[in-house]
Amino acid sequence: MRTMESENIIEMLHITKEFPGIIANDDITLQLRRGEIHALLGENGAGKSTLMSVLFGLYQPEKGIIKKNGQEVKIHDPNDATALGIGMVHQHFKLIEVFTVLDNIILGAETTKMGFLQKKEARAKVEALSERYGLKVDLDSKVEDITVGMQQRVEILKMLYRDNEILIFDEPTAVLTPQEIDELMTTMKEFAKEGKSILFISHKLNEIMSVSDRVTVLRKGKYIGTVDAKDTDKQSLSNMMVGRPVQLEVTKAPARPGEAVLDVRELCVPSRSHKKNAVNHVSFQARAGEILCIAGIDGNGQTELIHGLTGLEKSSGGTVTLCGEDISHASIKHRGANMSHIPEDRHKHGLVLDFTLEQNLVLQRFNEKRFQTHGFINQGAVREYAGQLIEQYDVRSGQGPVTMARSMSGGNQQKAIIAREVDREKPLIVAVQPTRGLDVGAIEYIHSQLVAERDRGRAVLLVSLELDEVMSLSDRILVMYEGEIVGELDPKQTTVQELGLYMAGAKRMDRSGKEEKGA
Amino acid sequence: MKNQGRTLLQKDGTKTVLASLLSIVIGLAVGSILVLVVGLFSDNLGMVSAWEGIRLIFFGILNTGRNTSGSLTWGFNPQSIGNMLFRATPLILTGLSVSVAFKTGLFNIGAPGQYLMGTMVTLAIALGIPVSALPSPVIWLLAFLGGVLAGALWGCIPGLVKALLNINEVLACIMTNWIAANLVTWFFDANKMFQNTVENTKSSYVYKTAYGRTMVDGVWTYVDGSGVQTAKLGLNKIFPGSQVNAGILIAILIAIGVYILMIKTTLGYQLKACGSNRHAARYAGINDKRNIVLSMAIAGALSGAGASLYYLAGNTEFFWQTYQSLPAAGFNGIPVALLAANNPIGVIFTGCFMSMLNIVGLQLTNLTAYNEYITDVIISVIVYLSAFSLLIKMLLSRRKKDKPAKAADSPAEVNAVEEASAEKGGERA
Amino acid sequence: MTFLIQQTLLYAVPLMIVALAGVFAERSGIINLALEGIMIFGAFIGVLFVNMMQGFALFHDAFAAKSWLTLQGLELLAMLAAGVMGAVFSLLLSFASVNLKADQTIGGTALNLMAPALVLFLIRIIANQNTLGMAEGDAASWFMIKKSTFGIDRKTDLGFLGETFINKVYLATYVCILLFVVLSVLLYKTKFGLRLRSCGENPQAADSLGINVYKMRYAGTTISGALAGMGGFVYALTTANCASTGDVAGFGFLALAVMIFGNWKPLNIAGAALLFGLFKCIAASYASIDINGDGVCMLASAPISSHVYRMLPYIITLVVLAFTSKKSRAPKAEGIPYDKGQR
Repeated sequence: MRTMESENIIEMLHITKEFPGIIANDDITLQLRRGEIHALLGENGAGKSTLMSVLFGLYQPEKGIIKKNGQEVKIHDPNDATALGIGMVHQHFKLIEVFTVLDNIILGAETTKMGFLQKKEARAKVEALSERYGLKVDLDSKVEDITVGMQQRVEILKMLYRDNEILIFDEPTAVLTPQEIDELMTTMKEFAKEGKSILFISHKLNEIMSVSDRVTVLRKGKYIGTVDAKDTDKQSLSNMMVGRPVQLEVTKAPARPGEAVLDVRELCVPSRSHKKNAVNHVSFQARAGEILCIAGIDGNGQTELIHGLTGLEKSSGGTVTLCGEDISHASIKHRGANMSHIPEDRHKHGLVLDFTLEQNLVLQRFNEKRFQTHGFINQGAVREYAGQLIEQYDVRSGQGPVTMARSMSGGNQQKAIIAREVDREKPLIVAVQPTRGLDVGAIEYIHSQLVAERDRGRAVLLVSLELDEVMSLSDRILVMYEGEIVGELDPKQTTVQELGLYMAGAKRMDRSGKEEKGA
Repeated sequence: MKNQGRTLLQKDGTKTVLASLLSIVIGLAVGSILVLVVGLFSDNLGMVSAWEGIRLIFFGILNTGRNTSGSLTWGFNPQSIGNMLFRATPLILTGLSVSVAFKTGLFNIGAPGQYLMGTMVTLAIALGIPVSALPSPVIWLLAFLGGVLAGALWGCIPGLVKALLNINEVLACIMTNWIAANLVTWFFDANKMFQNTVENTKSSYVYKTAYGRTMVDGVWTYVDGSGVQTAKLGLNKIFPGSQVNAGILIAILIAIGVYILMIKTTLGYQLKACGSNRHAARYAGINDKRNIVLSMAIAGALSGAGASLYYLAGNTEFFWQTYQSLPAAGFNGIPVALLAANNPIGVIFTGCFMSMLNIVGLQLTNLTAYNEYITDVIISVIVYLSAFSLLIKMLLSRRKKDKPAKAADSPAEVNAVEEASAEKGGERA
Repeated sequence: MTFLIQQTLLYAVPLMIVALAGVFAERSGIINLALEGIMIFGAFIGVLFVNMMQGFALFHDAFAAKSWLTLQGLELLAMLAAGVMGAVFSLLLSFASVNLKADQTIGGTALNLMAPALVLFLIRIIANQNTLGMAEGDAASWFMIKKSTFGIDRKTDLGFLGETFINKVYLATYVCILLFVVLSVLLYKTKFGLRLRSCGENPQAADSLGINVYKMRYAGTTISGALAGMGGFVYALTTANCASTGDVAGFGFLALAVMIFGNWKPLNIAGAALLFGLFKCIAASYASIDINGDGVCMLASAPISSHVYRMLPYIITLVVLAFTSKKSRAPKAEGIPYDKGQR
């Protein structure tokens, strides 16, 4: 199989792509061989997706050329890419939610008679492909009604339907369970065996080591190197990616849990998209001095659970007790008296992007005596307080307190939110995916902050989709599946595989903590 | 916020002013081209009147009529300028109304309806209370407050349906406008005593508020001069022959008040937070629904105040059969606010500019074969341009820079790009 | 009853076609708040076209000779003119929202202010008054299809269906219904329709599949403008005796409400338009509606103020919106400018 090693099907030579004020790709070269699985490794912001967008015709590079089979080609738009046999599964699926699966697959490559859609042939072709690769999909369901895993299979079928021979997978495993990831890896290897060439973008070292033939590493828009997967290991790849030795594990002392701060009983939260409860009779306690993690695949009710606890969404049943007070029906403001909340979406909930940094830092507190007199804002006090936080939490921005939040980098925006929430000194900290989309430095910082707060006796309720984060940061794990808590695990005594079985709903515990049979 | 990024703000402020001026110039130019084209193709107009039309569009406020030989004469025209200030009064207030709502993220296209409700209640109070019952300043004040309250209540309706049922406020505002137009017609149709019918033209208006409700020989009648009218405070001496009164000063004071409200108070902070990001405001425990209703109520109150000040002048008649049309003063609040980039102080100036266009329109009708609708065309062009004012601002700032920004020079722009990608879910890894 | 159905249709059909205009724009991702303005503009163009054509001997003689075919042809040509100019006018909106990524609400509002201003400015110069009508005769004598059109004696009873749908009707009404059906099929059964709808839901996805989002949005808005312009003229022809006054009294906004009530789906919109048409018809001619045919006008004799009937369409709209707003599902990407550089 490796006899054609000298033959590169795609070569991207010296690609440079600039955005106003930033060089996203700086002289990057990538050579993809026929029939190989080539991993593209880098941190968030390293330029991986930009490079792939260039290959897929979404961006035009300022410098550099692309060759296919040794011939220079120009890729102006996705149509050109498709004509060259290049297909891509985007990190955020490019699906029309209200269309059926079949309509999504044929969109852009329709067969027509006098302009009218002819779906019969298309259906037959898709069915054959789905059979052949074991990619089970329901062609007549609307995309919004199917699982994320199936949505990904739709994306893969879209590429196969167009007879693509070069397949790009952009962070394909982020939304999958460990078992689904294994299936995807098998499918990818099958494609490679048939002579299709695969570019696999990831920042997860385990997956890269298990599936890829070669690895190209990018860092801050620059090309670092290409290595054979069999000649390297996780630690050295990680060093290449970050540029310095990285601690793969979070160091922390054992937890010393105290009293229950938060007591949730039989909580139900209705869903916005379907008739069932998104959170269904959930009960648990979060104790002072521990990091309790809610694990699960995205979309299993974690968001709604947090919204139910923080008051962003009304609960339809059950009770929530915080510091001994029943807050089941309290207002958001009232709940905020004992709870701080690092929200899932920092742009939607966390910040008012068109406010200055200092205005954002007093988002909950502007009404406190300290910051206002008779309804007039006490500007000096706000400025002083903001200055303190900025210094203490090392929030970097162009103009200090008066910087527009919109103009700050993602990492510093998140730091500002953490500064604001931690400094409110509440007994409970709710942190939802606090490290999403950040680079390693920022992730390390945020992890250490959360551990420090735990050690100061706060209860930390963490929601995370990253298995590594779940395993290394938490003191106790609750797994959510389809709106229910299906398992409570001790990170020291469980494995990623076991966690995955719970996350996929293949395993569940009954209320007393024993494993149920045949669930 | 006093000193915050003064240089940046000033720079941004200048750009905003430049963008607005550019919009105005383009608007006037489009109007001129239209006048020119119509002049060339029309049999009874021709080049000479087109040239007159164009000069009037730009400088109509300084026109003093025609001399004996029939050519236009120019100079300081106190009557025009006084009338401009008088007509600016309601425009400043409806402009404030639209801009306050804008700051809270709402498009208050309901100003015409709020204006009409203000008109109705103001006139009903001013003309309904007998002059013998209360001293006229008290009647004036009651009528003013009544108009403000009526506008506020009417503004609450779209606010409430937006907050509670999430109905698009634009549609709700349009519907409440037409409902108001019918309600007002109904009210004055049912209360015939307010109607002042002119015999020879058969047209019927509501009495001017200068007419006071007086008992004469056992019959309630309206007597000219005994009613209420806003004090002139000597402004009529400066601008003789015009309708100007202290209303313009009240409007300016209100504008300053709104400025302080939006910039210096916690209420303004909350309103703006809801406007920029309703989700984040909610997350922070700010009651977003209450603020939406409150913002629309304030907006409505301002529109109502505009109507009150206009009709309490004492020399303005209200054509009450208005069920098929909406007051322009309401709609023109939109360009006033947009042109001022929603800055309450800016609104004072853009309000005056809009009323100047009004005067220009009248000059065109009176002095040429053109008509006042050309100014509405100009206004609509200006609104159209403000839809992409951001782009105009960007073009202006690009002009000024010699070279494209280097990464190190403009961290804001670097981050803006990161931001853009982060907002789309960090797809550009 | 015949009168009620005919009157309702007169309002429902323009409402339906203008609501469909809204659908084409919004399904492609552009909020077309300018429907009202485009209607006003289309009505003006159509009326102006008729007014000018009446001066030509061809049509003048056709009227004298009662050559109905030629006159119906004139009606269709006027509809076409209104549609074409409506489309041209809507380019202002597409240019602002697609190329300049402007705020679509403000852009639409600008067009709504521009149309009446421009129209009144021109009417005043052309006609020296605030209304532009036909040069001679009226809409009924020139364009209405009557029994005499088919050479049937006026006294012949055509039965209920015949009296309702053949006598005293306008060809324009049926052309609009036909267009409505054809365009609905276009939206759902063709490649173009599938691609257009994808741009209103997820333009990033459409772009990644090689669909030109800008082009599709231009197409959607242009079709929208053509339909709204045509609808404006049909409205003026059938309900305002072919006159243009620079005003359609919020009819374009009612069409938007119909579109929302109809959940952006043609079939529901047709139903919603009939309902709203009925209310609009009651508002306009409550005094002469004789429901059960006994010669008594029930609505007029009821102790309800005429003002209430006039307010009715607007109040109903507000109430209907209140009930449907929670369930309604707008195209996901509508109102959001699509920027190719940022994804």
